[in-house]
Amino acid sequence: MEPMDIVGKSKEDASLPKATMTKIIKEMLPPDVRVARDAQDLLIECCVEFINLVSSESNEVCSKEEKRTIAPEHVLKALEVLGFGEYIEEVYAAYEQHKVETTQDSLKGGKWSNGAEMTEEEAVAEQQRMFAEARARMNGGAIAPKQPETDRSLES
Amino acid sequence: MRQAGRYSGMLCGGLSGRSGPHSLPLARIKKIMKKSGDDVKMISGEAPIVFSKACELFIEELTQRSWMVTMQGKRRTLHKDDVASAVIATDIFDFLVNLVDNNSSNSMDNPEDISS
Repeated sequence: MEPMDIVGKSKEDASLPKATMTKIIKEMLPPDVRVARDAQDLLIECCVEFINLVSSESNEVCSKEEKRTIAPEHVLKALEVLGFGEYIEEVYAAYEQHKVETTQDSLKGGKWSNGAEMTEEEAVAEQQRMFAEARARMNGGAIAPKQPETDRSLES
Repeated sequence: MRQAGRYSGMLCGGLSGRSGPHSLPLARIKKIMKKSGDDVKMISGEAPIVFSKACELFIEELTQRSWMVTMQGKRRTLHKDDVASAVIATDIFDFLVNLVDNNSSNSMDNPEDISS
């Protein structure tokens, strides 16, 4: 293998992970069915080509609507145009479910972040306050309060 | 590179329909999308999620159609030619015809390839 093959993510065509694909394929078939390796490879290539096709069409749909970002709606429209309209309902359902799950996750995260919703400056200020409190506690415990340097210089 | 299994789990959170917890990695899908053309627009964060599900459905349909061909041949192993047959037999898979044709050029089912 040439060094470029190892390093080069740019020149190499992105493909889908074989292990994940194999699992998905196998789960769709009866357990005793075997899939030849060349068939697996071909299925993966077909899937990549599918993404290419739908991506191109989504890009077109997006352009026609004069939008700058390819959104899920564009992909759904592309699927319909290309004859994969049957997929739309399930795809949309999965998308909606994902939105719900993501919202739940951010709500959970919200609980955690609400208690510490401060900027970095505020956080630093808070930290200084806590240090001051701790120092006060230390000073309260000692017999003679610790004088800051400036006071000492005044005394002498 | 072989960490794809864990990677996909992390990214997709195991979202899937009828199959197991396996989902395709969103970053990889996004990469393929970007390479699909010269002038690809920006891709929203949610678009790869839609693609992931669409791909699953696509693989499912193609796999099952291929499997039907395998069964017709009374075999239990799904071969590349079965996939090719399924592609040729299905209208919406026309875009794959060239892909499977290139792959099956070594097939022995083409007597015209044998040079006299």
